[in-house]
Amino acid sequence: MLNDTPIRISSLVKDYGSLRAVSDVSFHLERGEIFGLLGPNGAGKTSIISTLVTLEAPTSGTVEIFGVDVTKNPKVTKSLTGFVPQELIHHGYFDVREILEFHSGYFGRRRNGDRIDYLLDRLSLAEHAHKKVKQLSGGMKRRLLIAKALVHEPKLLLLDEPTAGVDIELRSSLWKFVAELKGEGMSILLTTHYIQEAEELCDRVGILQGGQLKTIGRTRELIKGLTTREVALTLKPGASTIEHRCLIKVRDLPEGQGREMILRIPAQREVGELLSELNMDIAMIKDISVREGNLEDALRRVLEGV
Amino acid sequence: MSSRTSEGSVEVASVRDLPSVPRFAPFMTLYEREMKRFMKVIFQTIVSPLITATLYLLIFGVSLGGTIRLPSGDSYLAFLIPGLVMMSVLNNAFQNSSSSIVSGKFSGDLEDLRVVPLGKHQILWAMSIGGLTRGLIVGLITYVVGQIFYFALEGAVLPIAHPLWLGFFLVVGGLSFSKLGVPIAFWSRSFDQVSAVGAFILLPLIYLGGVFFSLENLHPFWKAISQFNPVLYFINGVRYGVLGTSDVDIGLSAGVSLAALILFHLVALRSLVTGNYQRW
Repeated sequence: MLNDTPIRISSLVKDYGSLRAVSDVSFHLERGEIFGLLGPNGAGKTSIISTLVTLEAPTSGTVEIFGVDVTKNPKVTKSLTGFVPQELIHHGYFDVREILEFHSGYFGRRRNGDRIDYLLDRLSLAEHAHKKVKQLSGGMKRRLLIAKALVHEPKLLLLDEPTAGVDIELRSSLWKFVAELKGEGMSILLTTHYIQEAEELCDRVGILQGGQLKTIGRTRELIKGLTTREVALTLKPGASTIEHRCLIKVRDLPEGQGREMILRIPAQREVGELLSELNMDIAMIKDISVREGNLEDALRRVLEGV
Repeated sequence: MSSRTSEGSVEVASVRDLPSVPRFAPFMTLYEREMKRFMKVIFQTIVSPLITATLYLLIFGVSLGGTIRLPSGDSYLAFLIPGLVMMSVLNNAFQNSSSSIVSGKFSGDLEDLRVVPLGKHQILWAMSIGGLTRGLIVGLITYVVGQIFYFALEGAVLPIAHPLWLGFFLVVGGLSFSKLGVPIAFWSRSFDQVSAVGAFILLPLIYLGGVFFSLENLHPFWKAISQFNPVLYFINGVRYGVLGTSDVDIGLSAGVSLAALILFHLVALRSLVTGNYQRW
């Protein structure tokens, strides 16, 4: 009944009235990978996650978790999935431990104290176990949402903007935790606006815009394919610049320190190859610096279509 | 679920090994949550209704009703006790399910019910039985207080004529109003709307359903109108259970009560499918 593909989305369309939020999107998640869904606000990221957890029904298309259709057998798909929503939740009446006990019980695990203790400890919530949610800081509330998502030991974790509004230190520790979960074999789909962190963490990314999946691929390969390298050559005073098709800027440095040539080359091209082509006197070069393209550049290129 | 091999890589148990989700444990968890929720605010959910019922018994049953005798020879207090018990059950059953959903919408945790493996039948029955439990607790306390007043006034305990009928109407009435609270809370867009339904529709139906007076004392026009009030049948059913007499035929009361339960159940199920789980 179950297969080894954590998520397979085929021709997904999601309409809200006359608004098409997701338009014919297809992709899949490989087992044990971290997959990032990136894109601006309103791109359709949350709508896709909402269909995965059955908060929204697809208008058309199929959404499968481990080969099980989420609309046909939602109890099975929900039991395999942990979901961290974007918005913080208050849980008015109950304390942290009670919330985790109830959430665990909903998945059929009513005596799950060891797992709850483990998560409280791992997410630094143990000393706050008997506090109400309103007594927690924003970061603690965020960690509680993650603990809830993991309390039933899911095989697939969905993180919708898990670090929104979180300070840099906590962000870093949350991403470290996510990487550890991957190390334990969990498959993870996340959305985030922190592109640098997605670049470090995600094995593959998909870029959404206007409800359409614009591109998808391995993070490193996408960066290589969609970005350029900027090579800055600082020349000694008196050295003359050379005309080249990759040259994008020449500027004089202050107080007679020479000039700087900035060349843009494809991400795959080596700097040594460029220098050979320029055929310059190495003695006239004071310094060389290279700025590599990154995921943010790739994202901008896809979104701006340049 | 996972183990580390000697080479340091991680082996994960195949997803084929995963157990299926039990049906009873998720249901019991939600029921337990409903119980804990009202016990957390016990002054609001138990003590406050108890004080209200005590005041009714004291003012209407003992003070004003002290001189009134029923045709059967019983005191007005004996007439009032079953009506007040049922009023407590209906009010509290409705309040429990509706306030649970409304507070879940306010705090945002109602959406949890959509992402966990709980089916709509499990959700509805857990909430219904949670509401029934609170209703029965308040109803029982009202009954005990009523008995204390009755004993003080009459020097004897008010006997229960038909315990099975009493149990039947308490359970069917409590479940019905508990289920009714579900769609009203789901379809409401604010706290005010839920309160308005309670204050302007349910409370008048309960008060005009014969808690304080016999149908026989009404003008024929209002008597005819009252026949359309389903609460009349719940209250008279309970009164029959306690006193052995009622304004309405017991078979008719049972039929209307069961029909109301089925109707409210279907409406509540519909609201769980079409209702809005999102945060206000």
